[in-house]
Amino acid sequence: MKSNAADKDIRRCVTESAESHVGQDGKAHLVISLKTTASLSSSQKVPAKEVEITALKQGIIPCRYLRNIGTVGLDGQIKLLQSTVAVVGAGGLGSTIIELLARQGIGHLIIIDNDRFAEENLNRQIMSTEENLGQYKVISAAKRVKEINSATTVTTFRERLTGDNAKSLLTGARVVVDGLDNLSSRLVVEQTCRALAIPYIYASIAGFNGQLMTIFPEDVGLSSLYGSSSDIVPEQGIETRIGNPPATVALIAALQVQEAVNIIAGVGAAIRNQILLVDARECTIDRIELGK
Amino acid sequence: MALITVRFYSLWRSYLGTDSTTLQADDIEDALAQLETRFGPRLREKLETAGVHLDGKIQDYSLILLNGIALRNIKSTALKEGDVLHIFPPAIGG
Repeated sequence: MKSNAADKDIRRCVTESAESHVGQDGKAHLVISLKTTASLSSSQKVPAKEVEITALKQGIIPCRYLRNIGTVGLDGQIKLLQSTVAVVGAGGLGSTIIELLARQGIGHLIIIDNDRFAEENLNRQIMSTEENLGQYKVISAAKRVKEINSATTVTTFRERLTGDNAKSLLTGARVVVDGLDNLSSRLVVEQTCRALAIPYIYASIAGFNGQLMTIFPEDVGLSSLYGSSSDIVPEQGIETRIGNPPATVALIAALQVQEAVNIIAGVGAAIRNQILLVDARECTIDRIELGK
Repeated sequence: MALITVRFYSLWRSYLGTDSTTLQADDIEDALAQLETRFGPRLREKLETAGVHLDGKIQDYSLILLNGIALRNIKSTALKEGDVLHIFPPAIGG
């Protein structure tokens, strides 16, 4: 734990390092560069995230978030940096979610996946490349996050989420985001999130269609779609026949990230007690109110 | 006999070329039977054209909500005037 004197020292260093920058709006802002953040992190022996939070609290914007602040504000960016988000699944939806959360400036990511990249992933899983086929997805994801944002810390779990480990894997998350590809794991995540009082951002895709719903502990959830009897839920949908095209994956993942930002930064209303149905081909979005 | 609205979403809407219809039905079973007669063959034909073969009736391969509640969670099968059935394909991939 840092002493008050050390805190004061970091604040002073950040203030002294701030530079003036004229933004898109023509107004001057005090900013701190990536290089300076890294230098202060090293000299003050504090994580880069702490330097950024200290700066934001004084109205000094880390340059990397300049284009975020107009939407989430200084306080919103601080909340994002102070948050932990768990992403369950680092494949199609998951890898785009992870990429965007890192760019948004989430402070800590928990990434859970036990799978390796295969050739059929290359069409949509943005962290898969011809070079890293066969590599564990969580390893590529952690590497990618580090390349994007050195302030975002990552905890990876190279294992399949199950009823036995879900609670320990998800504890501490402010929000859990769904990057899964099967219903049984989603039901485990939903149940665990309810028990831990964590909002769960569910989404799934099939062909050019996607679905999304944010489930708070007191909300209706997946049973409102699939029924309450777990023995009759389908394990997979028509995506096994019509596929998972890249644009649909990116579109739905982006909406999930926006939900996470809305919840954490408090900038918008989450899609609760509704199912959002997206048709990428027709460019339509419908919402259905769900009842209990 | 109640007049109800049926709304189709996402892929089903595209394949059927309509977003909604109305029908008179006594209960859910009656409504589903009418839907199968009117839309089942067309939907399966479109799916076959897309290379997707699905067995069964519409309710066997669709998610169906009555007034926002999964049919599987509904105890009473009676329909009332103004009820809305929402029908769309299950999407479980990621």
